[in-house]
Amino acid sequence: MKTIQIFDPALCCSTGVCGTEVGQALVTAAADLDWARQQGLPVERFNLAQQPLAFADNAVVRGFLERSGQDALPLVLVDGEVALAGRYPSRTELARWAGLPTLQPRGEGSTCCGGCC
Amino acid sequence: MRFLDQPPRFLFFTGKGGVGKTSLACAGAVRLADAGRRVLLVSTDPASNVGQVFGQEIGNALVPIAAVPGLTALEIDPEAAAGAYRERIVGPVRGVLPDDVVRGIEEQLSGACTTEIAAFDEFTGLLTDQALLADFEHIVFDTAPTGHTIRLLQLPGAWSGFLESSDNGASCLGPLAGLDKQRRKYRAAVDALADPARTRLVLVARAQASTLREVARTHEELAALGLGRQYLVVNGVLPDTEAGADPLAAAIAAREADALAALPAALAALPCDRVALKPYNLVGLPSLRALLAGESGEAAPPAPAPAAADGLPRLAALVDDIAAAGHGLVMLMGKGGVGKTTLAAAVAVEFARRGLAVHLTTSDPAAHLAETLEGSLDALTVSRIDPHAETERYRAEVLATRGGDLDEQGRALLEEDLRSPCTEEIAVFQAFSRIIREAGRSFVVMDTAPTGHTLLLLDAAGAYHREMVRHMDKSGVAHYTTPMMQLRDPARTRVLIVTLAETTPVLEAARLQHDLRRAGIEPWAWIINNSLAAAQPASPLLARRAAAELAQIDTVRREHARRLALVPLQAVEPVGVDRLAALAAD
Repeated sequence: MKTIQIFDPALCCSTGVCGTEVGQALVTAAADLDWARQQGLPVERFNLAQQPLAFADNAVVRGFLERSGQDALPLVLVDGEVALAGRYPSRTELARWAGLPTLQPRGEGSTCCGGCC
Repeated sequence: MRFLDQPPRFLFFTGKGGVGKTSLACAGAVRLADAGRRVLLVSTDPASNVGQVFGQEIGNALVPIAAVPGLTALEIDPEAAAGAYRERIVGPVRGVLPDDVVRGIEEQLSGACTTEIAAFDEFTGLLTDQALLADFEHIVFDTAPTGHTIRLLQLPGAWSGFLESSDNGASCLGPLAGLDKQRRKYRAAVDALADPARTRLVLVARAQASTLREVARTHEELAALGLGRQYLVVNGVLPDTEAGADPLAAAIAAREADALAALPAALAALPCDRVALKPYNLVGLPSLRALLAGESGEAAPPAPAPAAADGLPRLAALVDDIAAAGHGLVMLMGKGGVGKTTLAAAVAVEFARRGLAVHLTTSDPAAHLAETLEGSLDALTVSRIDPHAETERYRAEVLATRGGDLDEQGRALLEEDLRSPCTEEIAVFQAFSRIIREAGRSFVVMDTAPTGHTLLLLDAAGAYHREMVRHMDKSGVAHYTTPMMQLRDPARTRVLIVTLAETTPVLEAARLQHDLRRAGIEPWAWIINNSLAAAQPASPLLARRAAAELAQIDTVRREHARRLALVPLQAVEPVGVDRLAALAAD
């Protein structure tokens, strides 16, 4: 099973629930990642404001921060390699990384050939 | 004193800054120790003067008080605890991660939540340390955890989300996630707080209607959480004997009597003590012992010469300077109860009397002041932001738009986070942001919510500001003004810090100023409100309190304020155009 690591931006009151705007992406991501865990997928999350050492200790993440800055977070690693940056993964993406049966997005995709496109 | 009758293991004193929690906690602890008990006194006042009170150095370790057998003291500085927590997280990555990233982390960990939770973490150690409990029969705390903190800790969702896996994103409990203490300990601490056999809560108030209302809310909130064993102490009541001495003293005595007669129903049922106003500050054992004994404590010194407050500047001088600009935003900031709303109204009324267009916006829950002004002067517009309504609207919006996919636990956690002190501040600030743009054309004068939340508010505005600048760079549009840019521009915004000439309020105001400066806002002036020194009372007791104010006034003038104005304590509550105008006139 692949390991998924999410490196979050600094989250506390002010960017989370009590911020000027509650991030819908955060709320959705929490639900999607919880779903992934229930599917047996190992998901780890690291919050820049609380576990910055995890960012500093990982050469890939440290390099990403130096190049792109914290505003480019979140960063998603799958088995240590960059899989996604700047947004949280969807359930479809999580399923793909986990090798779970692909979720068919409703209303589209079903007409496709299943691999050729 | 009823609050010391058959005391349980833990005594907590709660009340807003300046009501005398620390003095009462010290006096109570001495009284218990004098009765032969082994007592630990814990001060979490960042301005703790417990060391000064007992004439010896204390600090963040148990120190036996030499002059009081059986008494040991400990000072916890919640700001320092939060700082230590911040440093534990940030220290190891400084110089490793980019500097702006490190600064961003520090900013995130500088909010009110971090301080509140770090303080609770310190409480927890004391409430659950078995060795400590064996050594001391009573532990007396000069403050208490907030209802918000306790409720969060009681939510199972909070624990599973943050303390075990710390991976559900955002919560006020975030700061706890980094503290490597165990869930069991927090649970035990909350249980101890809610156990009436072990914990007594002493609500400390002054005989003022607004303070008593606030204490009634605290009482109900904490009682709902199981902290049912509560006592009320009304501190600093002017003795009847002073009432005849001069008109100001008589007016104060009458006002206090009215406030006590109209005690909120929730408080009327509590065991209550009244502690008389003393002419001196409570330093040294004799005065502490006298505080609860109902004696004067020391031989009455000769009445001091009238306080030398003549040369101190009045509000009129500040108003002249501001009026000269013709328009702009004037914000009065400070802790609840220092009189921001009254002073905001006084400044606005004075502008209007000079024919300057002015919009007064208040978030004061006591709406009567604004209502009495409505329509009274042609140049004056009055509006009111109801913090409760704004907060409810904001909560409902967040829950509806963001909470839909959450399970029951997640939703409960989101709801509790939305009861955090930050939420009201944010909601109110959104409403303010809509109004302050008017300040380009006319005057806008506003009071604001209490300071503890203000920092987060400004942090949030700061983040918004950076976001706007980034977008501007991309699109090339550069004329957009964010609220934060407006607040930082001294030509457009003048922040007036309001405080009282007492130790704790001055310290709280200095901290507010520090937070504002961190956000790039330089307060323009300070106003010391309700000053006895400026009122020059004839009553011997009040005259000595007036003399005691001078040291604080001097501190403000020398260390904190670029400009300073003094507003005398009024014999009659300043309501209505004429009385308000008198505050700001020469």
